[in-house]
Amino acid sequence: MVVECEKLTKYYGKTRGVEDLTLSVPEGMVFGFLGPNGAGKTTTIRCLLGMLKPTAGESRLFGEHVTLDGANLRRRIGYVSGEVKAYDKETGRWHIDYVSQLRGGKGVLTDELLQRLEFDPSRCVKELSKGNKQKLALILGLMHDPELLILDEPTSGLDPLNQETVFAIIEERVANGATVFLSSHILSEVERICERVGIIRRGHLAAEENVKGLLGKRLRELNVTFSEPVDAAFLADVDGMSRITLTGPNTINARVKGDHLDDLIKRLATRPVRDLSIEHASLEEVFMEFYRDEENGASETSTEGGVA
Amino acid sequence: MSWTILRATLQQRRTALAWYVGSLVAYSWMMVWFYPKIGGGEYAKLIESMPPEMLQLFGSGDVSFASMGGFFQTEYLGLMWMLIVASAVLIYASHAFAGEIADGTMELVLSQPVSRVKLAITRVAGLVAYVLLLAAATFVPIQVFGPTYDINLSAETFWLLMALGTLFMLAVGGIGMLASSVFRSGGKASSIAAGVLVVMWVSDLVANFSDVADFFGNVNLISSWQPGKIINDGTASAEVWWLYGIVALVSLVACVFVFARRDVA
Repeated sequence: MVVECEKLTKYYGKTRGVEDLTLSVPEGMVFGFLGPNGAGKTTTIRCLLGMLKPTAGESRLFGEHVTLDGANLRRRIGYVSGEVKAYDKETGRWHIDYVSQLRGGKGVLTDELLQRLEFDPSRCVKELSKGNKQKLALILGLMHDPELLILDEPTSGLDPLNQETVFAIIEERVANGATVFLSSHILSEVERICERVGIIRRGHLAAEENVKGLLGKRLRELNVTFSEPVDAAFLADVDGMSRITLTGPNTINARVKGDHLDDLIKRLATRPVRDLSIEHASLEEVFMEFYRDEENGASETSTEGGVA
Repeated sequence: MSWTILRATLQQRRTALAWYVGSLVAYSWMMVWFYPKIGGGEYAKLIESMPPEMLQLFGSGDVSFASMGGFFQTEYLGLMWMLIVASAVLIYASHAFAGEIADGTMELVLSQPVSRVKLAITRVAGLVAYVLLLAAATFVPIQVFGPTYDINLSAETFWLLMALGTLFMLAVGGIGMLASSVFRSGGKASSIAAGVLVVMWVSDLVANFSDVADFFGNVNLISSWQPGKIINDGTASAEVWWLYGIVALVSLVACVFVFARRDVA
């Protein structure tokens, strides 16, 4: 395993950062770490980087226990923060040279990244837009072709064209054997590049599974038109149904959660159906469903396959 | 220690450093230029007719204003120099850890393969370099321009001023660095360190009226700084060396220890 957290807990005084977080990311995987602001994503990353001392539990990178002074581990990691903090008075070139010297030599990907991201390194950081600062952070984090990329909202502030370039660069690094730990609340980017996701909610890992599995199993959008008028109550008692609405006298739109398709089909078969579509919901809709459940009081934690 | 980080640390402060060095050189030159004009004579009598508490306020200490040491201590090194250099040192110290954590730039450095101990030791080395530059900007002009105005300090006195001045400011900087290693905000760290020094200064002033106020006694960093005596006598007491040396060493070692174990985000 490249990244491992075992019952990782971090409290800031009485405020919870993360609690009992257990996850692992094998070599070569792109792992998406999803959650809203304040859920504990950045706290987890900072524990992984040895910037925060866990209150309990531990984290390991490349099988080694992460310590506050773990310089050697960080040699193998590239970190990109979505909230770029750099030395305002210095230029992009100064930062590139500084990081290169700290890492013992010029990064193998420096020139390529400068070119592909169309970044001008001669300008002072204080003159850079949010997007250009993000490009600098990406260059600094990726230029040494690290084995593990820890990306915290890496496309924050970038326009769609540059986002596409960043996705392509990440995919190339993964093809070359890199492992990626991507924290984000931009679900489209997670859906695009991640194989597996962990969803963090109020500091706890609410679910962890493959993106395809999550999309395939968790939530479907149902549109059914019957040959005769129906009532919304027709589907109300089928397990896993939600947001059932009549969009016409004969048409029902609803969401199907979990593995209840069989029950649904059996119920639909009791009436003459004229048209039917059942589509996988987007990751965004799946994600929203998690938080809607939370607001409704659902509290159970699940792993592989289970939905809170 | 990392030379890369040391160079970057000093580069970050190049503008402030240039201003401080330039100002201290100009101030020192101005003082050696003024001394033959206003030092000694009637002006000295006027100054010495002032209440001792007021003279204490300007750091006159126990030396006579009529002497060269007394002039430099009252007019420059006893108060103004201390304020200028202490402010420079505390600004450096507050930014060394707490300021960089608050700005987020510490995250940039510590996401690289740099050990915290190495980083902290380098920041301490930066403080030493910073203080040495400021001390040189103060005392070298006195030594260089002095003979033009009939001010001749012996080499021994010059080195004594350099060494004790540096050690004094390292003690001040050490308190600042320790506060910086504990707190998250550079402003809070520098305020607390400055507050400790102000309490020492006020304690020294009030001690003229009441012995009860002199609760720092021989461990008061401010009242122990007597550059006039060094200029006049060419010596400094062993107790002062020990005081500054111990405070500097303990606080700087403690700041490395604390920084290596704290959260930096």
